[in-house]
Amino acid sequence: MLRNTDVIELWKESENLMKRVLIVDDASFMRMAIKIILQKSGFEVIGEAENGVVGIKKYQELQPDLVTMDITMPEMTGIEALKEITKFDPKAKVVMVSAMGQQAMVREAIVNGAKSFIVKPFKEDHVVETLNKILEM
Amino acid sequence: MSSQYINEPLLDMFIFESSQLIQQLEQDIIISERESYLSELAIDEIFRIMHTIKGSAAMMCFNNISTLTHSIEDLFYFLREENPQDIDYSTLCDLVLEVVDFIKVEIEKIKNGDDADGDASTLINANKDFLSRLKQFSPPSDTTETKSHISPDTQQIYISQNNGFAPHSANLFKTVIRFDEGCEMENVRAFNIIHNLKNITNEIRHIPENIVDSDAARTIQNDGFIIYLKTDCSYEEIHQHITRTAFIKDLELDQLSNNEQFGQFEGGVKIQESKGQGYKEQSNKGQTEKELQFTSAGQSIISVSVAKLDKLMDLTGEMVIAEAMVSQNSDLKGLELDNFHKAARQLHKITSEMQDVVMSIRMVSLSATFQKMHRIVRDMSKKLEKEVELKIIGEETEVDKNIIEHISDPLMHLVRNSIDHGLESLEDRRATGKMLAGTVTLEAKNAGSDVLIIVRDDGKGLNKEKILARARDNGILHKDESDMTDREVYNILFLPGFSTKESITEFSGRGVGMDVVTKNIEAVGGSVSVDSLERVGTTVIMKIPITLAIIDGMNISVGNSRYTIPTTSIRESFRPQEADIIRDPDNNEMIMVRGQCYPLLRLHEIYDVKTDITKFSDGILVMVEQDDKIVCIFADELLGQQQVVVKSLPSYIRNERKIGGLSGCTLLGDGSISLILDISGLADFTGKDIKN
Repeated sequence: MLRNTDVIELWKESENLMKRVLIVDDASFMRMAIKIILQKSGFEVIGEAENGVVGIKKYQELQPDLVTMDITMPEMTGIEALKEITKFDPKAKVVMVSAMGQQAMVREAIVNGAKSFIVKPFKEDHVVETLNKILEM
Repeated sequence: MSSQYINEPLLDMFIFESSQLIQQLEQDIIISERESYLSELAIDEIFRIMHTIKGSAAMMCFNNISTLTHSIEDLFYFLREENPQDIDYSTLCDLVLEVVDFIKVEIEKIKNGDDADGDASTLINANKDFLSRLKQFSPPSDTTETKSHISPDTQQIYISQNNGFAPHSANLFKTVIRFDEGCEMENVRAFNIIHNLKNITNEIRHIPENIVDSDAARTIQNDGFIIYLKTDCSYEEIHQHITRTAFIKDLELDQLSNNEQFGQFEGGVKIQESKGQGYKEQSNKGQTEKELQFTSAGQSIISVSVAKLDKLMDLTGEMVIAEAMVSQNSDLKGLELDNFHKAARQLHKITSEMQDVVMSIRMVSLSATFQKMHRIVRDMSKKLEKEVELKIIGEETEVDKNIIEHISDPLMHLVRNSIDHGLESLEDRRATGKMLAGTVTLEAKNAGSDVLIIVRDDGKGLNKEKILARARDNGILHKDESDMTDREVYNILFLPGFSTKESITEFSGRGVGMDVVTKNIEAVGGSVSVDSLERVGTTVIMKIPITLAIIDGMNISVGNSRYTIPTTSIRESFRPQEADIIRDPDNNEMIMVRGQCYPLLRLHEIYDVKTDITKFSDGILVMVEQDDKIVCIFADELLGQQQVVVKSLPSYIRNERKIGGLSGCTLLGDGSISLILDISGLADFTGKDIKN
């Protein structure tokens, strides 16, 4: 018979399997869209941030497995936040969320340690594939 | 709309967020227009707002919105990056406002479940024209793409820093990569691959050489991305490394036997020392001083859907009723229950506190509603060629969310009326020695359980004779003219089908405006009155309750029926003496109190209730006042004061016939239903034959 503690262990284990994601985006619509996709695909969204400054703070607090990072944000752009996050944790896995026509910025992000990028408007399978590939790294 | 996103909460969020952003954008623009200057901050914000809406709209497949916002985004990108001089601010503001209007209309369509099918092409072209005109007048420089944040020559070829350790790197590979169709930005994906490979390769070349231009994306789509690399890693390692990249449809990886093929590219491509080394050092240093201090506090505000708040409000209402049902339970009659009453008092305290909190959650400041008027003033003053200054006082005043929705339209009507009908033309103002710019003042303030919203202008004021003449012509005059007070004359304005303006203008419509104002305000239990002085100006006062849901009421009984009078309208209650009752020639009963005469209303007669108490000396009189009208209501007895939850009358009763003098009903503690009296409605009964 399963004891309570076993159940908790099992539960913890399955929690560990769920990859923990932090979403950084100034548009609540985008955060929601990404969150819906991720939750459907077995990711756990552990935090959301509405600008770069909050994003960095949340990263330090939550130490997520993955970060999706919008580029254009008030207070601090995604690229600045990316730089700070990789400074804090060089192994950070940050995926940029870019709009079409922001190629230069995506390149800058890659040079600064972004692992990959998603292009808005994104499709569900694109997002999931991008994140899964990064987790394999 | 792509099927995967037909997702209600997401759509709601799109509508909510986009409307908010649009509103903010509108305000930014109007402020900028007034100052004829766009600050860097404003440009940046407008750019960001447009960028956000573009992204969201594209996700929801509202392509007309996303392409339109894209064109404005481009325009503001140019403004931000190039900072051109001599901007035609007035045209620019007009353009942006037109875009704002377009999006507003589309969002409204989306809200109503219609297709967002507006055609934005004219607007887009206008934006493009404006942009190209701007570009003509500013120094030529290739903007968008080439204004890259990295200098292009650092990124083509990487030679890893471990070059020195492996001078005889053995393995040469050629790889051809094809990406999934529709993965976008193939050239940047290629860049990503090169960037990832640079640390495990000694030398690397690729075709196309230039992956900075977006043209390269097309080449890669057609021909694939070809990489030649020299590395110490094995075939498997390289293969594995590359396949980790997302969206690779097809990967050919061949080991080359000699330097020949590789060498072919030697001449054509310049080789550069990678910046990797410096970057690595930097990041190591960063690690040691990693703790960055950020003071920003955690999220302290969340947004909640109104539906949930409504539900909470309903439940709180139920709880107030249930509380009354318990503490006033008829089973308790005649029992000595000290502890029970102590506990009941505690319960009562908590319920009423909770009620206050729930109410306060629903309270929204009027500022957004008031700020919207800036746009109306701007548009109208431009069209009518009047100078108008809008003054806003007390915008922080709060009212219930539901009520705000009802006052936005009336307020708009009133402001339009003030500017169109109230304020004189520039010549007239000059002739009368007034300041050329007219002033429209919007003011909100608390007055007891009501909020007063005042729209005041310093225009020509109302002309009594004109109003009366018009009323006579339209046959809406019910009283003798000489009997009417100034205020009564002015209030004719709010009757259906009345307009003093001879010509109909685009803004003020066909004289349906003012009675719509009254209807809207009365729908939330408020009232409208107007005051005016010729040549000095007009003031319209809307009096609206702060909240609709729960009121303090005095319960009274007539026969077996219960009625509730809002406590705020009660002046006093007293037991009359027969001698004070007088009758006017029409046989209407009146009562003399301290030398003043007030009309009497017998509730049992109005609502045809059987009761034994018909003599004034047996019952009680409650003097109530609303909008300067005072009546005395005759009832059997007072039952007590209590907070009651206002419910509207069930639709099967409302559909049957309109019952005057009732604003709703409520449930009392003993489970019986009490009818809530509408005092201003009741006052209309005086002096009329009630039965009809």
